[in-house]
Amino acid sequence: MQLKPTYRILFITGAFALGLLIVYILSIAGAKSKGPIQNALNQAENNILNIENSLIIEKRENKRKKALVAYDSIRSNIDILKNPKKILLGASDNSKSESFEEIINLEDSLNTTFPILSIYTAWGSKANEQFPELAARTIINLGSTPFITWEPWLEDFDEAEFPGIPVPEKRGKGSLKAIANGTYDKYITKWGQGVKALDKPIFLRFGHEMNDPYRYPWGPQNNKPKDYVAAWKHIRSIFDSLNIKNVLWVWAPHPAYGYFDAFYPGDEYVDYVGIGILNFGDAATWSKWWTFDELFGVNYEEFSSFKKPIMITEFGSLVVGGDRGHWFADALRQTPKKYPQLKSIVFFHQPADKTITSKVVSWYFINDPATLDSIKEQIAMWPDSLKIK
Amino acid sequence: MWQFRQARDVKLYDKFILLMLSAAGLFSIINLMEWWFQKKHIVNFPLFVILSTFFWYGIFRIILIWINYLGIRKPPTVPKPKDGLSVAIFTTSAPGEPVSMYEKTLAALRNVTYPHTTYLLDSTEDVAFKEVAEKYGAVYLDLANLPGAKAGKVNKALSMTTEEFILILDPDHIAFPNFLDQTLGFFEDEEVGFVQVSQGYYNQYRSFTAAGAAEQTYSFYGPTQMGLYGFGAAVAIGANCTFRRKAFDSIGGHAVALAEDLVTSMRIHAAGWKSVYNPVIVNRGLVPEDFGSFAKQQLKWARGVFEVLFVDYPHLFKKFTFWQKFSYGAISFYYFTGLMTFFFIMIPPLYFMTGIIPANMNFAEFLIKGTPIAVIALAIYLYAQKFLVHPQTEAGFHWRGMILKYSLWPIYFLAFILSLLNHKIPYIPTAKKAVIGSLTPFARPLIWYNIFFILSVILVFINRKYYVPESELLFTSSRTWGMIGFSILAFIQSTGGILAAMEAMRMKEEIPWEHIDVNNISTKIIKK
Repeated sequence: MQLKPTYRILFITGAFALGLLIVYILSIAGAKSKGPIQNALNQAENNILNIENSLIIEKRENKRKKALVAYDSIRSNIDILKNPKKILLGASDNSKSESFEEIINLEDSLNTTFPILSIYTAWGSKANEQFPELAARTIINLGSTPFITWEPWLEDFDEAEFPGIPVPEKRGKGSLKAIANGTYDKYITKWGQGVKALDKPIFLRFGHEMNDPYRYPWGPQNNKPKDYVAAWKHIRSIFDSLNIKNVLWVWAPHPAYGYFDAFYPGDEYVDYVGIGILNFGDAATWSKWWTFDELFGVNYEEFSSFKKPIMITEFGSLVVGGDRGHWFADALRQTPKKYPQLKSIVFFHQPADKTITSKVVSWYFINDPATLDSIKEQIAMWPDSLKIK
Repeated sequence: MWQFRQARDVKLYDKFILLMLSAAGLFSIINLMEWWFQKKHIVNFPLFVILSTFFWYGIFRIILIWINYLGIRKPPTVPKPKDGLSVAIFTTSAPGEPVSMYEKTLAALRNVTYPHTTYLLDSTEDVAFKEVAEKYGAVYLDLANLPGAKAGKVNKALSMTTEEFILILDPDHIAFPNFLDQTLGFFEDEEVGFVQVSQGYYNQYRSFTAAGAAEQTYSFYGPTQMGLYGFGAAVAIGANCTFRRKAFDSIGGHAVALAEDLVTSMRIHAAGWKSVYNPVIVNRGLVPEDFGSFAKQQLKWARGVFEVLFVDYPHLFKKFTFWQKFSYGAISFYYFTGLMTFFFIMIPPLYFMTGIIPANMNFAEFLIKGTPIAVIALAIYLYAQKFLVHPQTEAGFHWRGMILKYSLWPIYFLAFILSLLNHKIPYIPTAKKAVIGSLTPFARPLIWYNIFFILSVILVFINRKYYVPESELLFTSSRTWGMIGFSILAFIQSTGGILAAMEAMRMKEEIPWEHIDVNNISTKIIKK
């Protein structure tokens, strides 16, 4: 079966061309079935979750949910959450992935159960940058409300999935404009669908501290204030078009950098005004021991002028430079009377934070009995009408 | 069954279709490769390297099969042998082999039409064997107490005889009358050192193990050997190979090794001889009927092939042609499947004990990238079945063969360890009759594995039910049960192996060759 060279070339090219055609057809079929396959797998995953949930979690005696029975009617009603009568406490702790045990340990030390559990997630194409469904479901199962900080880092978006986006290093400049222009709609939509599938409301803080020009790529060094507002409204319009009604929108500028009005999306787009209150004490050259009043009190008037409930989204003090127990006591004692619009306080309980200072600092106070005691003591003195009982 | 068969002729369009499918497969593999090796997939780097090594070893084996099929070739004509060639047929008898089997073997050999002398190379020192040899006109050679088992006897017999061509036939094989007419003609080409033919069986219907063991060989004795022949590397493997005495002389006689046929074949090729593979069924023999015998045969063979990989292959490497290097390399690396299966079986226990997963991959993406390869591989597999010697009985998915192959992983794994430690295993002749009545020790690792699997599932469930905190449970839910689902594959394979082994406990005692009528073998060519 010897062929002449010309025929041989023709034979081989023909076979390869047809082979390529087969692969092309198969890959089209593959692209078409990606959605359905992913959906089927997600469905299977969900079924497993539901089975374990009903077979294991729901059958347990000591469910955390029991301690939050009084909160159940609140967390299920977004209108009450938009204007809560109570002060909702919460905490974040990222030290252990795929677990909330550290927060639960803190609760045990404070003899309380937090209605809010806070988590952080970045934008992107990776698996851990999608809607954090498992964490959100777990929080809801635990009887609390998820508070998700949604950070528009854009480096991780896959160019194959979003054709035409700039190279990762160049995505910071004009990032919010790109979001507002619809470049990442596919991602936002999928994320929104994840939110919608939950049967309870969540707090959502998008692009926090957008007025700080030093820290995050979505700051004013890369974007105009109106682009932030446009991005916010764009995300909301997508959520509205998906008929998502279980989101409490937390708008959280940095208290030190001003220009709040320029970054404010508008009353009808915002449910909470958020503010981070972190006392770095002597830990950094630029910091000193600030009291709660120096950090929060000076801003209260301006923040309350938005006529929205206020949430302290990150609440903490380092131990160096002053009396930490006293700092917390001072803050919590004043809250009910002096700052009536403050409706939520989320402890920033992180053992290894390196976001601002050059060194790693710990916001942990779980091993500091004096601080624990003063927090417990002050909260106990709040009027019952503000507490979830 | 007792009918001469031959594989179908290879047409130009067959080659075209196989090349087209292989090209498509290659493109799909490149596609998968591009996806697989991404930074975001790595969780634990060393584990990712190991996982990739084993996974791509598996893919690489598939590519080897495809390349092999591209060479597929059948001798266009079977030359009619010249008259007057001097031909010897060697068959052996060793202690423990039933003399009644030789009644059939030797009677069938007497019926082989081309003039020849049959020799019975006996090491039983039992007079019954001498009697049966004489009854069927075979020359009895008393070759007891020789070192080197079968090969030792063959070499001794070579020195005692003078025939120019020697067919070495396994004693359980019933030769068809036209056997030599299908092989001797090829020796007209002075460069041909040996001629191998296909191997048929007559007891594959007896048990699951027999069917599975036979299934494992169908493709080999069809398209695989035809492909090797196309690349000038048809191997003498198994038995029933006709050799030229000069080829033996050039390598100092039949090789003495666990995989003696393979080593002999390699040495003859290295000495520059050509070989022919004629895809015809001109004999049928026995395949192991019980799991224990099959496992024993495979242990011996796998250990022998590892020996080839570590010793003979590197030693002869330079003397091979390119395609011989390729073919013998492919054969030598075959039994790493044991190691590979061991690794994949260990992934779930590793996860449950340490929480480590080797890679972070989206399963849907893997399915989408991997399915085209599976589809094309299946298409090639099924297309190549056109060249089975007897497609009517041999074609199919060969799932029994697959279950046997993967449930024998402990055997292949053991063979690998033994060869690493350079431990020998004694030459074990394959049982001719089923070993009946007890569960073979070779099934024990599978039983342990199944116990281990069931215990793991129970422990995982108890742990999750009572101990994993509610704040963590859902995070690991789908991963945990996904891992269990993954192990179920191994559990099914293992159970298949155990069931196959248990079949031997209640098999009916039967002498498979009892009903063979050696005078009723048809050598007519069936027109398709």
